[in-house]
Amino acid sequence: MVEAQDIPTATTSIVADGQPDSKTRRYDRQLRLWAATGQSALENAHILVISGSATSTSILKNLVLPGVGKFTILDHANVTPEDAGNNFFLEGSSSIGKSRAEEAVRLLGELNDGVVGIADTSNVEELLEKDTSYFTSFTIVIAHNLEPKLLETLATLLWSDDSFPPLVTVRSAGFLAEFFVQFHEHTVVESHSETAPSLRIDKAFPALLDYSLSLDFSAMDPTDHTHIPYVIILVRALEDWKKAHDGKAPQTYHEKKTFKAAVLDLKVKFDEENFDEAESQAYRCWTETGVPSEIATLFQDPRLSSLTPTSPPFFHLLSALQKFTLEHPYTLPLTSTLPDMKASTTSYIHLQKLYKARAEEEKERFKTLLAVPIDDSVVDSFVKNAHALKVLRGRKWGTLDADHSLLINALASSPKQTAIHLSLSALSALTVKQSGDISVEALTAEVRSLLPPSSELPEEFSDAVGEVARAPTADLPNTAALLGGLIAQEVIKVITKQYVPISSYCTIDLVDTWTGVI
Amino acid sequence: MIKIWSMKKNEDAAAKKKPKTSAAQIRVQKDLTELDLPSTMKTNFPDPADLLNFTLTITPDEGMYKGGAFVFSFAINTNYPHDPPKVKCTQTIYHPNVDLEGNVCLNILREDWKPVLSLNSVMVGLQYLFLEPNADDPLNKDAAQEMSRNRDAFLQNVKYSMQGRSVKGVQFDKVLVR
Amino acid sequence: MGSQFTDWQGRYYHIDQVLDKPGPRTDPAFLAGDGVKDFLRNQAKILVIGAGGLGCEILANLALTGFKDIHVIDMDTIDISNLNRQFLFRTKDVGKPKATVAAEFIMKRVPGVKVTPYFGKIQDKDDDYYLQFNLVICGLDSVEARRWMNATLVNLVDPENPESLKPLIDGGTEGFKGQARVILPTITSCYECSLDMLNKPTAFPICTIANTPRLPEHCIEWASVLEWPRVKGDKKLDTDDPEHIGWLYTAASARAKEFNIEGVTWSLTQGVVKNIIPAIASTNAIISGKSRTLETTESVDNTHPAAACCNEAFKIATSSAAYLNNYFMLIGTDGVYSYTFEHEKRDDCPVCGGESLELSISSEFTVEQLIELLVEKQDIQIKKPSLSTPTTQIYLQAPPQLEEATRPNLTKKVSELVPPEGEVTVTASTLPFNLSLRVTYT
Repeated sequence: MVEAQDIPTATTSIVADGQPDSKTRRYDRQLRLWAATGQSALENAHILVISGSATSTSILKNLVLPGVGKFTILDHANVTPEDAGNNFFLEGSSSIGKSRAEEAVRLLGELNDGVVGIADTSNVEELLEKDTSYFTSFTIVIAHNLEPKLLETLATLLWSDDSFPPLVTVRSAGFLAEFFVQFHEHTVVESHSETAPSLRIDKAFPALLDYSLSLDFSAMDPTDHTHIPYVIILVRALEDWKKAHDGKAPQTYHEKKTFKAAVLDLKVKFDEENFDEAESQAYRCWTETGVPSEIATLFQDPRLSSLTPTSPPFFHLLSALQKFTLEHPYTLPLTSTLPDMKASTTSYIHLQKLYKARAEEEKERFKTLLAVPIDDSVVDSFVKNAHALKVLRGRKWGTLDADHSLLINALASSPKQTAIHLSLSALSALTVKQSGDISVEALTAEVRSLLPPSSELPEEFSDAVGEVARAPTADLPNTAALLGGLIAQEVIKVITKQYVPISSYCTIDLVDTWTGVI
Repeated sequence: MIKIWSMKKNEDAAAKKKPKTSAAQIRVQKDLTELDLPSTMKTNFPDPADLLNFTLTITPDEGMYKGGAFVFSFAINTNYPHDPPKVKCTQTIYHPNVDLEGNVCLNILREDWKPVLSLNSVMVGLQYLFLEPNADDPLNKDAAQEMSRNRDAFLQNVKYSMQGRSVKGVQFDKVLVR
Repeated sequence: MGSQFTDWQGRYYHIDQVLDKPGPRTDPAFLAGDGVKDFLRNQAKILVIGAGGLGCEILANLALTGFKDIHVIDMDTIDISNLNRQFLFRTKDVGKPKATVAAEFIMKRVPGVKVTPYFGKIQDKDDDYYLQFNLVICGLDSVEARRWMNATLVNLVDPENPESLKPLIDGGTEGFKGQARVILPTITSCYECSLDMLNKPTAFPICTIANTPRLPEHCIEWASVLEWPRVKGDKKLDTDDPEHIGWLYTAASARAKEFNIEGVTWSLTQGVVKNIIPAIASTNAIISGKSRTLETTESVDNTHPAAACCNEAFKIATSSAAYLNNYFMLIGTDGVYSYTFEHEKRDDCPVCGGESLELSISSEFTVEQLIELLVEKQDIQIKKPSLSTPTTQIYLQAPPQLEEATRPNLTKKVSELVPPEGEVTVTASTLPFNLSLRVTYT
């Protein structure tokens, strides 16, 4: 997979403070989603889209608008009257007869001056035969309704080396569609997970413990008492509990109940919300902060046992993280992000400082465990997101169809999704074999040939195959638009390495309006 | 065009036609006509035909604010009850939970507002502020500090302010009714 | 007329595949072929509310699917921050009305389509205006406007006139999330029925803002909620005015500095006051998590919800396939996850629920007699009813001042206060919500 090049100078300044420049204003909403780092990755990307179909231009529209660096449309066809009717990036009948790639690039280009569009009128089949390096030079490749033989060649080519770009395959017919993202490995630091990292109340670091023990709750003035942050209340209450219980946190249901009651007993007035917060957060005292199982699983990654100085930085960071968790207190590095809580400004800011200082210390310790030098901002982000890291391993396009047992499982676990996948697979196969009407019978026979003998087709199959037979070559504007939205979103996730992209087939049924993964 | 009407005919329920009274209007009518206020609270409608703008006068019969008449303006927008009513104190008063601009610190007027709450809940909440001022989460910090540190001085200040005198250089409105 | 020039051979090759033949899940009433094409292309009239993020997408999709008489209403003008997603607008259009620019663009790009813009508010238009459409698609970012549109379409339904039922398709989006729903006024759950699913914008306690700020957001709210009105008096805060945002930013920064709080930026200031922050962890959020619907179009991916909305409009207009029943949500932050479900109609919905009653009375009947009649009616069990029409209060039981003000009406004839076929809203503590009366006179 191609690493997005880090060329800070390629991105014009995105200022965080003061009145923003016009570029920041233009991209304001999306910068709130993927920040300047994501934007920079997007601006350094070059996307190849094979064919200038309505679906292809719809995908591109959603990449050109947010400012992808460059895109190429590879299409040797000229605009037909049929194309001119369903593609917003052709100019009606005046585009008929002109190069489809050139017309689409021209009209897409109007959407954003900062984006470079390239129309390539070469024949994809010839390029695949003569110049494979052409395809491997892009950041990501997208192919819509590409004929099966060429798609197979392209998928095999892009799969043949880890460093080659991911491939997005898209198929659609009428109200039905599917897409698939082929990649070897995809690592995510900024997954934008909604799970918050541990506050480590159960394993209070020394400064936090000292601070909470230094406070004399009973001697406080009532206003201060109402503003003790719940974190402090819990650390203190837990420490007191442990002293009376052989150093153990509450274990049984009864003990937990008693602990909560004790927390509420500390109130001096009935309406002290900070103590109510402490009670509702009391579970943090007996939920041991350790290494989350999803992260522990990542430490099993084969990449870690074969690290070399040239391995991707992510795995060096992961290796350092593993080492970090083997030391006391056997947790992930602390993050300095403190949620809001009922507290006075001074008590909250003081607590925040304690967390920040400790997080800084642990980050310094973490850095000493790194085997190779890594940029500070990358380390910062990694440590901050350590609780939500993701490593996705993808599959080659076609793996599902080539493996009978996978197909049988898919039919059993996601019958209606698989019915769409099989119907669309049968359609691409048939389109090459025959011309003229595509019948339900021919499609069904084709599907049967993909499956092991005597396997049963699910109930939902007739719905899917019937729709495909009804509109085998229809690239409907609404289906194209929906695919354009979803696929551009996945491409952005892959390019920015933020959020979590799909790693299986996504099937879409716009009759009953649902999407589903296999 | 899909034949929606035929589905309608198949329904058991008779066709309903609703008046053009807005949901907000109906809800305000319901809230107002079902108000259950003690004798210490009274609403006043400058224009009885306009149910969306009125005042509420609270005359506490116990506590440190006894003897005063405190007037709050209510402004309800057409997005009620999705949006809470906007309530302000129309007088300059000395109270830990009301600032000198008339802003009121009452959770259900802001962060804890829910459409299931009603005007009655808001009014009861406002009256409660005069019976039990809360010095811990103040809007008027000076008043709150005085209340928690020197209660006698605070009570004196309340008394003076209600008489329309000035307290620590701030001129208050006279709210005494007897 | 224009269609013979613009509908070149093959233009509708793609769309016609689903109009010439039914699919396995197509209603038997579908009339494949010329009839349905003629309705779609020559008769159907569709209204799009909003020409913003969703609206631009909706207009383009409708035009390509073959709707030729499209109207669009939007009260906004184009801002530079719209250009990264509202793809019918260019830098040169900044400051111009969205509806007008969008309409012109569509007509230029998709020949033969007529788009009629209205630069103004939906509330400017009356029932007759809305009655002319077959379908309404809403791509709005305001709860208030959606409630108004929803209530208007529910009220439009006249049992005597099947055409008065206008399907409403509503889209919403936020960040990587989107939704589309189909509302058949009075038949399915309406917008008001699901109002409690709404996520309220994060509001911080006013005392926190005033005295114990902890987050940069608290400082920004202090600047906009307390400091602006204190310093600027009645001057309205315009969150689209960079000077106003700048003032708030400066005020918030100074306050943050005073309290040693880090993180007030221009971008955060704008985000908080325009409520375009995806999520802010607040005290309330820790204590109660809640499922929610999406309400803001201030996001990036408007394409998929808009496409879903247009697809429903197309299916409803043509009957070419089953339509969504009735709610579709899609979340794209972790893979692609979607959820299609039927949101249930609420009996106590103030817009589409409640009871209604046809009442025929003598034109000599007084208000007092009407109230007695209602109280005596066994089947509705009503006590102490209060009555009003959309424009006047007829009789309110409380509070005392209003009772007094409306008391003279008791002896008046109902026919003086309510026109024939007029609507009377009845509320009472014994009713779950309200009762609506339709009064006719003998």
